[in-house]
Amino acid sequence: MSHQLGRLVAQILQRYCGEIVEKVGNDLFMYGSKPIAMIVKSTGLPRTQVIESLRTLMKFDLAMFEATGPHVDYRLLPENVLLLIRYPRYLLQMKSKYGTEAELIIEELLQQATCSATLLLVTIANKYKDDKDKNLTIVTLKDTFISLATAAYIQQAPVAEIKEGSEIPNLVQVATIVPDLDTRALMQAMANPVDIKDNIYWKVNYDRFHQDFRDDIMIKAMTRRIDDTAGEVMRLLLQQMYLSSAAWAEESNAIPVTDLRESSRLTDKILLHHHLEHYLKVMEENGAGFIRRAGDAGGGQYCVQAKVAAKLLVEDVLDHVVTERLGSKAARIFRLIRAKKYVEEEDIQKNAMLPNKECKQLTYKLLEEHFISVQPMRKSQQVSGTQKGIYLYHVKLFEAVHVCREMCYASLHNLSRARRQLVSEHGRALDKQRRVRTIVHGMRMRSETEESINDVLETLTPPEVNLLAQVEKQLKQLSTAELELDRNLFILNWYLHYP
Amino acid sequence: MSENKTDDVSEQILNAVKKNSKGISATDMAAEVPDLPSAELVGAINKLLQQGYLDIYKQDGALIYKIKNQLSKQVVKGADNEEKVVYNLIEEAANKGIWIREIRNQSNLTNPQLTKILKNLESKKLIKAVKCVNASKKKVYMLYNLEPDRSISGGAWYQDQDFESEFVDILNRQCLRFLHQRADKIKNNPRGPIVGRTQSYATAIEVQKYITDLGISKVKLEVEDVVTILNTLIYDGKAESTVYPDGSRVYRAIESLIPPPGLVQVPCGICPLIHKCSSTGLITPQDCKYMNEWLEQ
Ligand code: SF4
Repeated sequence: MSHQLGRLVAQILQRYCGEIVEKVGNDLFMYGSKPIAMIVKSTGLPRTQVIESLRTLMKFDLAMFEATGPHVDYRLLPENVLLLIRYPRYLLQMKSKYGTEAELIIEELLQQATCSATLLLVTIANKYKDDKDKNLTIVTLKDTFISLATAAYIQQAPVAEIKEGSEIPNLVQVATIVPDLDTRALMQAMANPVDIKDNIYWKVNYDRFHQDFRDDIMIKAMTRRIDDTAGEVMRLLLQQMYLSSAAWAEESNAIPVTDLRESSRLTDKILLHHHLEHYLKVMEENGAGFIRRAGDAGGGQYCVQAKVAAKLLVEDVLDHVVTERLGSKAARIFRLIRAKKYVEEEDIQKNAMLPNKECKQLTYKLLEEHFISVQPMRKSQQVSGTQKGIYLYHVKLFEAVHVCREMCYASLHNLSRARRQLVSEHGRALDKQRRVRTIVHGMRMRSETEESINDVLETLTPPEVNLLAQVEKQLKQLSTAELELDRNLFILNWYLHYP
Repeated sequence: MSENKTDDVSEQILNAVKKNSKGISATDMAAEVPDLPSAELVGAINKLLQQGYLDIYKQDGALIYKIKNQLSKQVVKGADNEEKVVYNLIEEAANKGIWIREIRNQSNLTNPQLTKILKNLESKKLIKAVKCVNASKKKVYMLYNLEPDRSISGGAWYQDQDFESEFVDILNRQCLRFLHQRADKIKNNPRGPIVGRTQSYATAIEVQKYITDLGISKVKLEVEDVVTILNTLIYDGKAESTVYPDGSRVYRAIESLIPPPGLVQVPCGICPLIHKCSSTGLITPQDCKYMNEWLEQ
C-alpha cells in the first residue's frame, strides 16, 4: 500500500464515483479497516452519505466488510479500484471475441455490478429496441449470454446468507450453473420488466478476462521472437493447458504432442502441420524459456512455464524503462548485471565496453533509481581504512518491479489529473457541445429538416469547433495512454502474484 | 688481415641472423656461411656474443641465435651499473611492462635514485612509461620500441590509453546489421523453423570477415575482439547466442518480447522528476510542461 497507489485510487474514485465516495475511499485506504462511526468522524461527512458511499463501493466490489461479532469494519480493495480503468479493455476483448451482443452484455453488467439474467437481457433488448444498426433480438442475446456463462466470463454472484440471531450477512460463493433461459418468458418480461422474478444474480468474472490478457501477451511475445506460426503453437499449448492445469499455475502439467497435433488440425497453417515438432523444439531452445520439454512419453511432452514467462516479460519491461529513462548504455549495464548475478564494478566496465567514467556514472544512476542494488563485501574481518572494500552489484528483480509499479501508479495518477484539468478548463465548451449533440440527435429522430439541424449546429462557432476537436483528441490520447499503462501494470502484477 | 677476415665473417653471421628475426639455429647458420670451418664459426659467434651483438636462446632443445637489441648495446656502453640493472629488469618484463615498485623491490635501489635513473633512460628514449588501462594511476615501464600488450593497452579498443567508445559503437551497430540481414530467415521459413534458425545464425568468424571486408577498422580485429562486441549486443538484448553441438558459438539477432510498454509511452515514465512530482508544490501534473508538450503533439 503505497503513497502513489493511494493517490491513484483517490483519483480514480473521484472520476468514476464522485467526490464523496472518494473521501470515504481515501479514508479507508489510509487507515486500513474501520467501522462506520470512525469514518463519519474522520471524514466529517453526514452518516447517511457515508453509508451511501459504502454501499456504492461494496456494490462494485471496491470495498468489503469484515465482521467480528457485532462489530463491522470496512476495508477498501485498491486492486479492484484499479480495475475500473480496465473496463474498456474488457469490452474490447468481448467485441473482438464474441461480437457486439457480448460487448453490450458485459457493458451493462459492469454498470449494474450484479444483475439477474432476465433483467439484464431485457434491459439491453429494450434499450436498443429502436437501434436498427445493431439489429438485436432477445434470442441472440440469450444465446450469447449462455455462451459467456459457459466460457466463464460471467459467473454467479455470491449469495448473502443471514445466520440466525445475527444481522450480519455472510457472503457465500456459489458454483455457477449455466442457466436455461426460456425465450418466451424473456419476451414476456420485455413487455413489462417490473415483475421479473429471476433472483439468480450474475457478475463479471474478471479473472477469466485476465487469463485472456495473459495468453495474448504470451502469444504475441512468441510471434515477435520467432514467427506467427510459433505464436499459433503457443496458443494451442495454452488451450491445452487449460484442460489439464489450474489457470494460474506456475507451470502447466505436461502436454503431450499428440494432443497438440490433434488440435493443430483445426488451424489452416500449413507450416504448423508439417513442422509441429520442430517448432516446439525451436520454441524450447529459442523461445526464451516459455516452454520446457517435460518428457518423451507419447511423442514428447511440453510444459508451459508461466512463471518463467512472467519473469522474462517483466525483465523486458524493465529493460525498456531503463533504456528510455537512462539510455541504452544504462540498459546494457542493467542487463549485464542481471546476467552475471553479482558483479564488481570493474567487470561491468570490461564487459559492457564503455568508457570507465560513463560506465560508473550510469551504474550509480541505476543505483540511485533503485533498479540495481549493491552489496558491500569485506575481504577480511578487520576493518582497516586503507583496504578497499569490494562492492558487488546485483538486480533484485522484485524490488525493481516494485519501483516500476510505483512509477506506473504515479504516471496513471498524473494522466488522470491532467485529464481532470483538461475537462474543467474546457468545461463550458464541452457542455455546450454535449447539449447541441443531444438536440441534434433528437431532431434527427423526429426527422426534421437538414436546414434547421444545421442552424443548431452553427451555434458552435468555428473557433469552438476547433478547440473541441483539439480537446477531444487530447482526451483520446490520454485514454489510450491509460490503457497502455494498465497493460504495463498487468504484466508487473502478473509477475508479483507468484509467491 | 686475420682481423679483417673475422670482421667479414661476423658481418655474414649478423646478416644471417638479422634476416631471421625469430632466431636461427646453429646448423642454419652454418649453411649461411658455407665456406667457413665450424671451429672458426663457433669462435666468431662466441666473439659476437661477448661483444653483445648476439643473444642465445634455447628453444625445443636446440640453441638458437638472435640479434641482440641494438639499444641494449648503447645503454651498456654509456651507463653505470645501476642503470644497467634497471634496464635489464625492464627488458625482461618485455611488452607486459613493469611497475615502478617492482623495479625498486628487485633492484634494491632507493626511490630518488630509481626515479633519476628512470628519467634518464626515458630521456634517452630507451624506455617509455605506459599507462595501464585497467588501473588509470598505474604506470608501467617497458622498452621504447615495444608495442604494449593487450592487457596493458586494452587491445583494439584503446588509442593512447583512451577508450574508443565511438569505434565500439560503430562496430556494435555493424555487427547488429549483419545479424539482422539474416534474422528474418527464421520467420515462416518454408523449410521449417530448424532450417530457418540455422540460416539466421552467424558465427563470430563470419561476423569478423564481414567487418574486415567493410574496412571500417584501422586495426586488425581478432575473432575474440568480435566476440566481445557480439557480447555487448547480447547485453543490449538485441542478440542471443547458442552453442552448437560441436562447441562453436553462434549468434542471432532477436526482438524484444514486448513492444515498448505503456510506461515509456507517457511523459511521466521518462520524466527525470517523477520522484519529485506531487499534487502540490513546484512540480505538479497540473502545470507540467512535459505533459502539455506531449498533449500538443
Ligand atoms: S506530471 Fe510532469 S513533472 Fe510530473 S512526473 Fe509527469 S512529466 Fe514529470
